Parts: sequence; structure tokens; C-alpha cells
Amino acid sequence: MPTILKDRTDEIERLAVRYPSRRSIMLPVLWMVQQQEGWISQQAMAEVADVVGTTVAEVYEVVSFYTMFQQRPVGRHHIALCDTLACAICGAMEVAEYLKTKHGIEKKKVTPDGRFSLEFVECIGACSIAPAMLVGETLHGNLTPDGIDAILAQCP
Amino acid sequence: MTTATAQWERVLLPNIEQDQTEWLDAYVAGGGYEMARKALGMAPADIIGVVKDSGLRGRGGAGFPTGMKWGFLPQGLFPRYLAVNADESEPGTCKDRPLMEQRPHSLIEGVICSCLAIEAQQAFIYIRGEYYKAARVMQQAVEEAYAKGFLGKNIFGQQGKNVDLVVHRGAGAYICGEETALLTSLEGYRGYPKLKPPFPAVSGLYGKPTIINNVETIVDVPHILRRGADWFKSWTHERTTGMRLYSVSGHVKKPGVYELPPTVTLKDLIYDICGGIRNDHELKFVIPGGSSVPWLKPHQIDIPMSHEGVAAAGSMLGSSAVMVMDHTVCPVWAVANLSHFYHHESCGQCTPCREGSAWMHKILRRIEQGGGRMEDLDTLRDIAGEGKPGSGMISGKSICALGDAAAWPVGSALGQFHDEFVEHIEKGCCPYKNKRYWMAGGRFVNETFEKMPVL
Ligand SMILES: Cc1cc2nc3c(=O)[nH]c(=O)nc-3n(C[C@H](O)[C@H](O)[C@H](O)COP(=O)(O)O)c2cc1C
Ligand code: FES
Repeated sequence: MPTILKDRTDEIERLAVRYPSRRSIMLPVLWMVQQQEGWISQQAMAEVADVVGTTVAEVYEVVSFYTMFQQRPVGRHHIALCDTLACAICGAMEVAEYLKTKHGIEKKKVTPDGRFSLEFVECIGACSIAPAMLVGETLHGNLTPDGIDAILAQCP
Repeated sequence: MTTATAQWERVLLPNIEQDQTEWLDAYVAGGGYEMARKALGMAPADIIGVVKDSGLRGRGGAGFPTGMKWGFLPQGLFPRYLAVNADESEPGTCKDRPLMEQRPHSLIEGVICSCLAIEAQQAFIYIRGEYYKAARVMQQAVEEAYAKGFLGKNIFGQQGKNVDLVVHRGAGAYICGEETALLTSLEGYRGYPKLKPPFPAVSGLYGKPTIINNVETIVDVPHILRRGADWFKSWTHERTTGMRLYSVSGHVKKPGVYELPPTVTLKDLIYDICGGIRNDHELKFVIPGGSSVPWLKPHQIDIPMSHEGVAAAGSMLGSSAVMVMDHTVCPVWAVANLSHFYHHESCGQCTPCREGSAWMHKILRRIEQGGGRMEDLDTLRDIAGEGKPGSGMISGKSICALGDAAAWPVGSALGQFHDEFVEHIEKGCCPYKNKRYWMAGGRFVNETFEKMPVL
């Protein structure tokens, strides 16, 4: 019996008719899970396998390939800081240092209050407003110490 | 008149500074969707003809002539699909994001015109996962267009003309920008590229003929239909036509996305349009076409930003993403950073790319951190080659071009900055002391950073 996806059946079926093959709903359904739960658990993968009509192994294969799918819980506000060249030469490493020393937010860790987690990611297509990071679903560019304080202050 | 004061009419992103979404009513009020209606009255071959005449070449990186690509579709084989490549993940490239966030309907109109041209009834826009806003905006715009009858069955009330459009999100994999990987990802699998041939135009999505084009390429189509092929060709350098979007990042005073003709020189782009190097530092090197292309030194930048102009200087126009590095940037560190990107993004299917990218990254990191050996340079040279197609152990020997993209910057950095590699090895450390601090340009200077360690 699905528990995680139990209220999403109609939505999933509306999605499925839009693609020539049911398998194509794999990524959209995984996104649905992640947006609802924050991450994708083994239980969720089993449910996705049922919905898509494939095996858990195949779902895991997909989840583990795409870096944005989280396989363990993240903070309420997950920060994805770009450390690729354009950002790196405009201060991404300083941003990382600032997040750590001023706000106690460290790479690959969830803060003890569960509020933030941080991950370094590759280019997020914001190179002309480097250094840039995503906080949850929102992109922030031209980061400065004051700017970072203000952005984080808005995250409950 | 200097380049900066010259005025070109911007058609792709006329109000980029305002950063607002133009929704359906505003788009229609400005003449939007007229070309979709016009295309409905044209024969598919005529639309393809105009696109061919315009000389439009793909904006995604390879610069392949769009009309010619459309012409490769096998006769009489249906259904056909259109997949719009909005994966935009080549470091440095950030032009498709404003296009989708600000002018979603210009992309939808482009999709309609292109679908009519290639006789496809179903299109997909594959948007990289990190572009939450672009995906939200596109989804909402698609719903607006469906509600008006511009998408769906019998579009604009024309019997039998159907165009369905699905916005599909990726989930963080650079490789899904490669056209065959994009299709496998869209089918619901790991984004693994496939060997070509067969080309997607013959056997693509779900094994059916499929055309894949970059967002900007598709957006160009209605503009060409509106104003004609000759208008598009009024900006031409050799075989590169039309205005295009240049993404400029790094150490210039005014980084941004600029709509310019291919005749603009790299020098004017940097010193005139982008205001020169920040803090009036010296220019160290430029990456002219996204992170995978060979680097150019300051004496090489007086070139037109066309495919031919950049190729003549020994590099590639690629996705026309210009990254500018000033003298605070250590080239060995920079190429180590890029090699990390390719190592991380290699899909792992084929050995030359998977192992080669990891190997190069390990060696480069070792040299940068001061543990390099002279033999490392020979090893690197063997793996990466000369920064040219086909040379070295990876380029031309992998399933897709990610292998080439990983090798070219390394080969090119070795050629352009050989002495600095040697210096790292001889000194046993990176000579750029406190580079993290200097590169950030004072943005983060406060007590916390006064005693910043060397990275
Ligand atoms: C590793 C790799 C990544 C690519 N990433 C992108 C991308 O993010 N966006 C894009 O439009 N094209 C990308 N391309 C190019 C596509 O394979 C394809 O050539 C392009 O989408 C075709 O569209 P166009 O002819 O309109 O340029 C990539 C190619 C490779 C080899
Ligand atoms: S390099 Fe950071 S967004 Fe592109």
C-alpha cells in the first residue's frame, strides 16, 4: 500500500497520459516525492517502482545517477553552492568559509537545528552573477557577506 | 563610435535588465504568436527553406546548421518529436535561463513554428533541475497557451494541426545536455549517451525520428520568419549569421548576458561592452566558448566572435560563453577546477572518459598542491593531447563529446601555461599565495579573513 504517494494518484495518472511511454514519468514522480518529503527514502523508491511499473533496483539506479536526488534527509533549507570556475574565481570559497565561520553551516552536514544543509555543486547556470547559490528553490547571485546574512535571515 | 555605444536592436531579450516575465497577454500585444499563425499557413518545406536560407546554426555548442539538421528527417516516418535542450550546464553558459524566465512565450512560439516545420505533433522542453524558476515560468506559460488554444489539438482553430508540449525537468546531470543522453533521460533512465549513428533525426526518442535543438536556436525561428532570412544575415561573419546571446562571466567589470552580432570582437566584448577587467587588473586568459574549449591568451583576443573567428585563433565558439580570468588566477588551479567538473559529470559508461577524466583530475590536483613530478606533465600530455579534436587518449575515443570536453582545456592549459606547471613542480607549491582571497576581489575582506590560510 502506498503511503508516501497515496494522495498523488490522480496527479500521476494525469502526468502519465502526457508521455508516449509510462517509464518517462520516472523523473517527474521522483521530483514529486522529493518536493513532498525533502528526500527519497527506500520506502519511497519502492512506491515509485510500483507507480512507474518497474523494479526498485531500476529506480535506485536512476536516483543514484542524478545528483539532485537526495538519498538522506537534508535541512529545511538546502543550500547548493556552486564551486565551478566562474563562481570559484569570484569568491565561492570565501562564501563557503563565511557560511561555516559565521553561520555554522558546513559541507555535507545538516545544522543541529535541522534548518540548513550545504552541498557544493557544479555550475548552476548563474555564472554572470557569480558567486551564486540556490537556497531551496531560489537562486541568489552576487553574494556578499551582508547579502548572505539577509538571505539566511529569511529562512525560518 | 565605439562598440559599447553602438546600438543593436535586441530581439531575443529586449528588456533583459528589467528581469520580468512577459506573460501571454503582453506577448500577444507585442505581436506575439503572429508567426505561429503564419507558419500554419506555410508548407513545412517552406519553413525549413527560410531557416536554411538564414544560415541559422545551433546555439547549443556544436553550431550545426539547423535547416540542414531538420532536413535529415527520413521521409514519411511518423510520429516525430521535437526536444528542446534547456539543460544549459556548460560552465560559463547562462543565457537560456533569462530567455525562459523572461520570454517563455517566445520559446513556445518557436516550438510551434519548429513543430510545424518538421511535422512533429509532440514536443518536450528538457530543463535542468537547478532551474526551478525557469521550469515554473515555462509550465505556467504552457498552461496559458493551452487555455488559449495555441497548444493542444487543432491549434489556433486549424483542424488537424496539433502541437502538444511537455515541460520536463532534469535532476542535476551535465551529461543530459548531450542530445542522446537527453533523450534517454527523458525516457526515464540514467542519462547515458548513445553511439551515433543512428542519429536522433532517424532514431531518437522512443526510437522515433527526433530533432533536438537548443532553446536559443528555437527562439530564433519565429524572428527569422517575421523579418526574413536576409534580416538575419545582415549580421554575418563568414558562415556565422544572426545576433546571438553571449554569456560573460569572471573578472570583468560588467558580467552579464549580451545580445550581439558575430562580428563583435572578443577584445571589444571584454574591454568595451563589459567595461574591462575589474580593479583594472591585467588579463590572464579567456575561455571563449564555455569551459570545454581551448584557452586564449591576451594577444589572441582581437578576433570576431564567430565560429570561424574563434577557430582561427585555435579555440571554439561553443556556447558563446566567455569566461575572463585576471592575473590573480592560477591557471593550474583553474584547470584543476574544471577537471573536477568533468570528472564529476562523466556518466561513467565508457572507459576513456571515466578513467581519463579522473586520472587528469588527480594529477592536476597533485601538481596544484605541490606534490607534482616532472613525469606528470608527460602523462598529462599523453592523456589530454594537444587540446585538439582526436589527439590524446580520450578525445574522439569516447561515446560522446564529454570526453573531448574534458581533455581540451587540459591540453590547452598545458600548452599555454607550461612554465607555470613547471614552476609548481619545482617549487613544490602553488606560487599564487592567498589566491582565494585575491580572486574574490575584496568582496569578503573583514576580520574573519585577515589571516586566511593558503588553500
Ligand atoms: C557533454 C555535452 C553537453 C552538452 N550540453 C548542452 C547543453 O547544456 N545545452 C545545449 O543546448 N546543448 C548541449 N550540448 C550540445 C547538444 O548535444 C546538441 O548538439 C545541441 O543541443 C543541438 O542543438 P543546436 O543544434 O540547436 O545547438 C552538449 C553536448 C555535449 C557533448
Ligand atoms: S560557474 Fe557558478 S554558476 Fe556557473
